[in-house]
Amino acid sequence: MSDVVLKNVVKAYGTTPVIHGVDLHIASGEFCVFVGPSGCGKSTLLRMVAGLEGITDGEISIGGVRVNDLPPRERDIAMVFQDYALYPHKTVFENMAFGLRLRKRPDAEIRRSVGDAAQILQIDHLLDRKPGQLSGGQRQRVAMGRAIVRNPRAFLFDEPLSNLDAQLRSEMRVEINKLHKRLRNTVIYVTHDQVEAMTLADKIVVLSAGRIMQVGTPDEIYNRPAAKFVAGFTGSPPMNFMPCTVGEGGGTIILDGDIRLPVPAARRAVCAAHAGRRLEFGIRPEHVFAEAAGNDVAEVPAQVQLVEPLGSDTLGLLRIGPGEITGRFAPEAALATGSAIRAGIAMNKFHLFAPETGDAIRGPGW
Amino acid sequence: MKLAPNRRKTVWIAAAIVAANGFFPALWILFTSFKTEAELLRHPITIVPHDPTLTNYVRVFVDQPILLFLWNSLVVAGLSTALCVFVSALAAYAIVRLRIPGRNLVLSILLAVSMFPLISLMVPLFQTMRTLGWLNTYPALVFPYAVLSMPVCTLVMASFFQDIPNDLENAAMIDGCTRIGALWHVVVPLAAPGVFTAAILAFVNAWDEFLLALTLSSRVTSRTLPVGITLYQGEFAFPWPIISAALIVAIVPVCVLIAIFQERVVSGLTAGGVKG
Repeated sequence: MSDVVLKNVVKAYGTTPVIHGVDLHIASGEFCVFVGPSGCGKSTLLRMVAGLEGITDGEISIGGVRVNDLPPRERDIAMVFQDYALYPHKTVFENMAFGLRLRKRPDAEIRRSVGDAAQILQIDHLLDRKPGQLSGGQRQRVAMGRAIVRNPRAFLFDEPLSNLDAQLRSEMRVEINKLHKRLRNTVIYVTHDQVEAMTLADKIVVLSAGRIMQVGTPDEIYNRPAAKFVAGFTGSPPMNFMPCTVGEGGGTIILDGDIRLPVPAARRAVCAAHAGRRLEFGIRPEHVFAEAAGNDVAEVPAQVQLVEPLGSDTLGLLRIGPGEITGRFAPEAALATGSAIRAGIAMNKFHLFAPETGDAIRGPGW
Repeated sequence: MKLAPNRRKTVWIAAAIVAANGFFPALWILFTSFKTEAELLRHPITIVPHDPTLTNYVRVFVDQPILLFLWNSLVVAGLSTALCVFVSALAAYAIVRLRIPGRNLVLSILLAVSMFPLISLMVPLFQTMRTLGWLNTYPALVFPYAVLSMPVCTLVMASFFQDIPNDLENAAMIDGCTRIGALWHVVVPLAAPGVFTAAILAFVNAWDEFLLALTLSSRVTSRTLPVGITLYQGEFAFPWPIISAALIVAIVPVCVLIAIFQERVVSGLTAGGVKG
């Protein structure tokens, strides 16, 4: 059993709190990703689990053992750092063997463990080199090798790919995913890259200003965001937001500029409860179409402000009334800057948020 | 770095002055050690000895127990260096890494202490050593030498420790080290140039020291080299060539030590450890 449990964990520097009472349960073998903007406290939280930062209040347990007062070495965890943190004076072999040597494991076992890990990570030909003789990607593999040789209860990754170039990053992402499928250890992974979060995680924890905004599967986080912050943080480009008023009986959403969007029958009851209220209307770019066709698609007059062809698809910035929204279109969509179109909005996919709190307003099955 | 020709000339001249200032006395002593007394007093002065002789070196070993002085110096300087580096490394690490209130004040005090005139400590030190019964023993010199070099060694090592990335120690602590273990396994090896620089400073300070050695070790058997060399002068005679030969004998171990460790005093040892 190697589940990680945080109960009302608080961290303060002097009188300034930076983590405000975090509760979280990471199941044994789960890949949990902490995601959030810079300064949200995700790395601090990870370092608190590692024991590199003390906690001000609350409780952390790993594998059922309360670890609040245990030093990092007694928590049976391994960590991969953003800047690799390899020992420059030791060879790759010695870097990977260091933890086992400190635990006084027999030489034969050390050689076997390091050899196995090196083979998995395809670095067995680099064992005699020093970190200074390796490329960035190789160093990252060594850092991961150092973590896996000890077969710890939990792996902690602190933005491990952020120093790599885009291509290497996507390669290493796949490697990490494969590694987790193979080893099935509990993983806590910190990143600000939502692609990493979405592709790797069993569970995503979205953090903002030291608070958990939402915990959920990638699908839940993306399709059923609990708050405007979560909706705006995930997706590239992010969700479009526009102020709106809910019409009489919940039958329409009225955007500024008197643009009326008919609400599908399945969503009317929830909207009716907010009739006449000012809310935030949210729609993902892929739910905006260059033409209005199909069921539950509302037609709106729009003017194309900007076209950004990405190859696989095309982004278009559309002016709708006084506001602007971004749509993701098929590359063959005929869009010309400055042209007027009848855009479509998938009304079975829209989101509503309370402007005061940012909380999502949704009914069951939305 | 590319320098303009005029600037390069100035730098060369400055470097030559510094080198001449350092080397001339050493060379003069070396040449003198091979001269006879008669040649030394001859006019006009000769720089390179005309009739080089090794007699002075023989006299150095025959007239006084210089090997004993050498051994005493080695023991005192070696032990005080080891003690000084050990304690200074811990102090430097604490100053650099731990969140101590008034950290800058500690550094300022260290700097101030390193400027303390030694003579002002002489009487209290003498009385302390007499009370402890340590006069004419190695500890009488080992402890004061270690302590006297600690401020500068701490400052030197602190500046090197500062450059070691924090995550390397964190990695070591997660791998299984205690904090002190991380210091010895990771920080000290990576800050080797700083540690060796500090060690050389402490060793040379102890090796050269005269005033304390004269005061606290008055017996011939416990004398160190700087004090021992003064024994070559007679009541009315000052045998410069023999004293010069003794000085050369005293300089050689330090030169050997520095030559051995010079290779370690190189930067760039941390290359590749972290993304940089």
